Amino acid sequence: MSQWSESRPDDDFYRVLAPDGTITADPPDLSEDVLRRQYRTMRLSRRYDEKTRSLQRRGEISILSGSIGEEAIPIGSAAALEPDDWCFLTYRQTPAMLYWGASLERSIAGLMGAEPETIDEHLPLDDEDAPPVNFPPVYVPLAANVTNAVGSAMADRFGDTDAVTLSYIGDGSTSQGDFYEALNFAGVFDAPAVTICHNNQWAISVPAHRQTAAETFAQKAEAAGVPHERIDGNDVLAVYEGTRRAVERAREGDGPTLIECVTYRVDDHNTADDADAYRDDSQQEYWAERDPIDRFEAYLRSEGILDDETVESIGEEIDRRVEEAVDRAREVPDSDPQRIFDNHLKTTSWNERHQREELRAELEGENPFTDFTGEGL
Amino acid sequence: MSAQDYPESETSEINLVTAVRETLAQEMRRDESVRLLGYDMGPIGGVFRATENLYEEFGEERVIDTPLSENGILGTAAGMAMRGQRVVPEIQFLGFFYPAFGQFMYTISKMHERSGGEIDMPLTVRIPYGGGIKSSEYHSESTEALFIHTPGVRVVCPSTPAETKGLLAASIRSDDPVMFLEPKSIYRVGTEAVPEEEYTLSLDDARIVREGSDITVLTWGAMVRHAVTAADRVDADVEIVDVRTLSPLPVEAILDSVKKTGRCVVFHEARRTLGLGAELSALINEYALDRLHAPIKRATGYDVHFPGHQTEEAYLPDEQRAVDAIEAVMSYEF
Ligand SMILES: Cc1ncc(C[n+]2csc(CCOP(=O)(O)OP(=O)(O)O)c2C)c(N)n1
Repeated sequence: MSQWSESRPDDDFYRVLAPDGTITADPPDLSEDVLRRQYRTMRLSRRYDEKTRSLQRRGEISILSGSIGEEAIPIGSAAALEPDDWCFLTYRQTPAMLYWGASLERSIAGLMGAEPETIDEHLPLDDEDAPPVNFPPVYVPLAANVTNAVGSAMADRFGDTDAVTLSYIGDGSTSQGDFYEALNFAGVFDAPAVTICHNNQWAISVPAHRQTAAETFAQKAEAAGVPHERIDGNDVLAVYEGTRRAVERAREGDGPTLIECVTYRVDDHNTADDADAYRDDSQQEYWAERDPIDRFEAYLRSEGILDDETVESIGEEIDRRVEEAVDRAREVPDSDPQRIFDNHLKTTSWNERHQREELRAELEGENPFTDFTGEGL
Repeated sequence: MSAQDYPESETSEINLVTAVRETLAQEMRRDESVRLLGYDMGPIGGVFRATENLYEEFGEERVIDTPLSENGILGTAAGMAMRGQRVVPEIQFLGFFYPAFGQFMYTISKMHERSGGEIDMPLTVRIPYGGGIKSSEYHSESTEALFIHTPGVRVVCPSTPAETKGLLAASIRSDDPVMFLEPKSIYRVGTEAVPEEEYTLSLDDARIVREGSDITVLTWGAMVRHAVTAADRVDADVEIVDVRTLSPLPVEAILDSVKKTGRCVVFHEARRTLGLGAELSALINEYALDRLHAPIKRATGYDVHFPGHQTEEAYLPDEQRAVDAIEAVMSYEF
């Protein structure tokens, strides 16, 4: 089996770092601090994924999708944003939030099933701890985020601010109508919206060539009149630089861009999936050699930005932070069942009050069905 | 409408998801125009393995792995159905049906009527639904009322392996579009002896799960089994009616039971307001009010978004909620 599930099996894309970490194009102009922060977040994300997966196996978390092997995409692209920009994630881009300093403990408590109100109460965030880039809640329904992101970008255009909205979609999800509709609106309204397609070549078990007969996912923007680009998704510097150019154009009023980042989902789709059932692992080796963290680390070492000592101390610091975050998340008590009634509407209603009372009665071992007059239990 | 409706033949002990798979295979063997359509249906046989091995047996033009697009799946399925195919699209989870509402409303439910009865839509949309598997957002929806509220489609919901076989076969052979809701939390909970021979069950009749004289419990899907264990616990002779064909409703069977017992509890997993319980209660009010000894109670989910996995247990109706509702209704006398 080839290394590619796409119909266009080649590396014809923008790349800065070769798989061995040597330079193939001008690297972006980034400070050592920012480079180290990108590297550190990549390591942190991977550790976070490994840890949350082990929590899932122990039954502390239900179902889970990770970013292993794909960290360069959310991190490289989110690093091209600036404070006050907006970023609409699906379940696979937690690393983008981590890059902007999102709370690990809050993410883990969320995976443990705590209601958002419970998390707010037990792991409150000071304003200065909130990520400076705006992250609406993660989206589970596929492609809905992209249309919302374009609307967000339109709001900024109408409001004459210079904020940009970034959103992510998987290769499979580009088959949804919402995706085309979003790009079309973005084009028509010149929205400052950058859409990143994570082409990891699989949507659960369906390979990329079953999603489209087009040569590339990037060219799906063609019909909407939206500029597009194809980038090596395992090269954090290329993802950064490509996104930076698109963000800059958007900020200057030159409209939307679709960027396809080509990568590979080296892992199962989620913890309920078993990729061995639909693909052989001859691809794994090819992609292991292209691991985005190894590649970036080799580059940073060659530039003298990292050495054994810093690599090791970053590893230790990350292990410690992740363990601490898990401990804190575990301290969050299980959500009070009454939370299920919170935050539906801004006012209460007879039904809400009545049903809260029914649930209370049920939990206290009383019979909740004894109101025969509508006057309460 | 109970076991006596099943043919007397060799049986095999299977669970509900296996009944789905075997019925699909049976119908595909007997009718070449039956095609399955959806994503992840190929080599892995669906995320619940409901179509496992069918791709190998029938090939990629009968078990069609599609792009990831619910509206596309339903729209192309409708087009195929209009052209003589008997199509069985799969939607991975009820919570991901919503992008397909356009095709559902515009063509699937309406084509037969708007063509003056000329065009049939023989398609059966299989959808795993309901909570109880501690999954993430939109994986636990029980919004069957949205389908029931739409004219021009049948809504069917089995509650056991043997029921699944007969109802799914009948749905696939029906020339009406059918929304076939599979209670996924009991896909693998328990097996029963299911006749190996082909059989169909009526799409216009309820199933009397257990006869009783004091009170009727109207229920369906994964809740049926909680009603059964609840009935054993209460001090009343409970009749349980598995409504099973949620649209059109098996009204005679429902009214017959309630007129006989004079009391009723509706027990469903969906949120309460405008859930099917509201219709059932209204129906009984219109046609059997003078036979009632007590108000009808609805033991249901709450009017909230389906909650996260830490709180889903508090949301979901269970045996205790059924017991409480039955006891409350039994305690009242007009
Ligand atoms: C509208 C909708 N349909 C189905 C699903 C179930 N689902 C979740 S992830 C997934 C595959 C997504 O594949 P892709 O878009 O390629 O993204 P990847 O997971 O590979 O990053 C599916 C089918 C969903 N979440 N939303």
